[in-house]
Amino acid sequence: MEWIPPMELDPARAVPAPRVPEPAPPPPPFEAEPDAAMPEAEFIPPVAGPAPRSPLLRWLVGAVALLILVAVGFDTADLMNRAFATSMALGVVVALVAGVAGITTIALLLRELRSLKRLRRIEELRGESRKLSHTMELGRADRFAGALTRLYTDRPDLELDLARLKDVVTDAHDDAEVVRLIDREVLTGLDRRAYQTVLRASRDTALATALSPAALLDIAVVLWRNLRLVREIATLYGARPGYVGSLRLLRRMLGNIAVAGVTESAHHVAVDALGGSLAAAISTRVGQGVINGLLTARIGLAAMHTCRPVPFTPDTRPSLGRIRAELLSLPKQVL
Amino acid sequence: MSFLDSLFDQAGETAGRFLEADVRLGVTGLRRAGKTVFTTAVVDNLLRAGRLPFLDVVASGRFQAARLRPQPDADVPRFAFEEHLATITAAQPDWPEPTTGISQLRLAIRYRPNSALRRTLQSVATVNLDIVDYPGEWLLDLPMLRQSFAEWSALSLELAARSPRDALSVDWRGWLSAIDPAGPDEEEEARRGAALYTEYLHACRRAESFLSIIQPGRFVEPGDLKDAPLLTFCPLPGERRGRGTLWALMESRYEAYKSSVVRRFFAEHFARLNRQVVLIDVLGALNAGVSGLGDMKRALEMSLEPFRHGSSGWLDWLFGSKIDRVLFAATKADHIASSQHPNLKGILDSLVAEARRTIRFEGAQVETMALASLKCTETVVTEHEGRTLRCIQGVPVGRDRPTVLYPGEIPDGADAMTVARNRSYRFMPFRPPADAGRDGRGLPHVRLDQALQFLLGDYLE
Repeated sequence: MEWIPPMELDPARAVPAPRVPEPAPPPPPFEAEPDAAMPEAEFIPPVAGPAPRSPLLRWLVGAVALLILVAVGFDTADLMNRAFATSMALGVVVALVAGVAGITTIALLLRELRSLKRLRRIEELRGESRKLSHTMELGRADRFAGALTRLYTDRPDLELDLARLKDVVTDAHDDAEVVRLIDREVLTGLDRRAYQTVLRASRDTALATALSPAALLDIAVVLWRNLRLVREIATLYGARPGYVGSLRLLRRMLGNIAVAGVTESAHHVAVDALGGSLAAAISTRVGQGVINGLLTARIGLAAMHTCRPVPFTPDTRPSLGRIRAELLSLPKQVL
Repeated sequence: MSFLDSLFDQAGETAGRFLEADVRLGVTGLRRAGKTVFTTAVVDNLLRAGRLPFLDVVASGRFQAARLRPQPDADVPRFAFEEHLATITAAQPDWPEPTTGISQLRLAIRYRPNSALRRTLQSVATVNLDIVDYPGEWLLDLPMLRQSFAEWSALSLELAARSPRDALSVDWRGWLSAIDPAGPDEEEEARRGAALYTEYLHACRRAESFLSIIQPGRFVEPGDLKDAPLLTFCPLPGERRGRGTLWALMESRYEAYKSSVVRRFFAEHFARLNRQVVLIDVLGALNAGVSGLGDMKRALEMSLEPFRHGSSGWLDWLFGSKIDRVLFAATKADHIASSQHPNLKGILDSLVAEARRTIRFEGAQVETMALASLKCTETVVTEHEGRTLRCIQGVPVGRDRPTVLYPGEIPDGADAMTVARNRSYRFMPFRPPADAGRDGRGLPHVRLDQALQFLLGDYLE
């Protein structure tokens, strides 16, 4: 770079260097870069997007959906005709009901789409923050912090944290420092709450499995509880997923859970198994409860990993330890 | 029952007192690096704890409070924290007078321990932080402990003959060539030599070329030793001479200086330190050009010498330093735009690189950082001939109105020496901000919290 000699400039023309949070300009599109360039600092292998489906399958699904839509349309039209033929009043009522059904369907779809977009946004933020934590440059973190602040604008529970973040960040911090500050000031509190949620959910599933009379029932309970857990955690971190969104999250996490083992070492897995079998010796049902609880806990922690806008560092990573202790004391509580 | 309760309380209290940890933090710096401001800012920020997001104990909400306490060593002057703070935060803010000599301040920090085990022992823990502020020249004296008079003389003479010192030491070297080291030990002659040598050291210190190696340190900061025979010697050329010669006189005074000044400082202060921060005015050296940087690099290497003591011989083991973390901080980072901080750190890294490896080998941790104890400027962006420049805005010393300054881009690390040769910089001194500390959150700073986390973080777990 060419050398510019030192000089004094007109103070009137100087603008403060951009700071956090920005007054919300239109969000610049984050380039969603592949994680290939990242060093092995991440502990969970970056989640792969949904596998590309074969175009044939897509055509099939599309065609069937269209058929069903047309059939439903025909049937509705038929129904309305018949209702009008019977009486004017009945016809109007049926038309109204059909209209409401149509509008709500569209609204639901829009909401799902919006929630999917929020999910994608968090993923982009994760990618960005991972990049920023390795640079000592300036300027891009402002955008990142701005985007994050916007994500949490309508959250009264985070107002204090965001205000503190604004206080703490100065123009002297570089990008990595800003990301670390966001991590410490805003996300640590969320982590604590998310961990409590996971703890509660895993206890719930463990108890439900232990106490449920029929096997089918506890499968249903566990599935429902896990889905709810994932939604709760995603909502906490600002993703607010709809049904499709949480299913997608759940599916991606199930794909991840084997690898993740929520990043615990093989030693801990062995302890889980041992603890499980010990409990199973006491009571099969309680043993199953503990195992289901641990599964839920793993799903919950994986959800935390997936939904957090800034990836965990080795120090902040949540551990299964406390949940495991809690669950293994369950047989004592139940018996 | 109540008797038992009070007994338990007593026991708990006693145990708590035993569990109080003491940590001694040495603050030193080469030549006008900002020791006083650093210490003042550290104390003020710890007392108010409003601007320390990177200090874990504060960020996690475990910090309770800190307050000043009477210092343990009654014979060391107290660091005049209140006066310095008053000068900085006055209506007409100014920089505090640079201190000479050693001073000390004790700060007690109360916090809740992090680990569950320690929490069951004591819900609130206390760390007594003793900040010991001493001139960097005293640190540079420590390598003398291992050098004989002949060795020291050879090194000093060689240094004095090198540019840019050769011009400053002309008078003294003229005197050297005129006398005979093997001549009789005339007190007059010795005084004359010491006076010329002291003049040369003062000139080095004042010089535009920003020279850092000043040895022996008490020659320029004599304190209560002014005119004592201890300070009337200077390096002499040649071999060891017999008894009754000037050489022998100088040698005996050199040895006396070593044993009653340097070794005393080492045993009474330096060897008791747990942590050390060395402040360095890298920007000042850059301002002065390449000779300043080179001299600073040598001074830094010398200052690291004492940390190597740890494991070489039983005497060193007895007196050896127990410092296990050393921080080298390039101060006045607010004199450049924040985008330049990585480059500043890079230069510092390259200055201490070699010595750093040695210290690491001895088992101490070393860290470098670019910081500002008191943040006087804001980074601003401005246009100049179609290019966007990151500049700094602040009120320069001696003016009333803020200005926007573009001080020049700093080269990054490795090629600093070569690039600095043909560039000129203009780092201006700025006045403390008018509203410093008015919001009650502590003085504004750059990375002071990260420095504290490195220096004290493990004590506050």
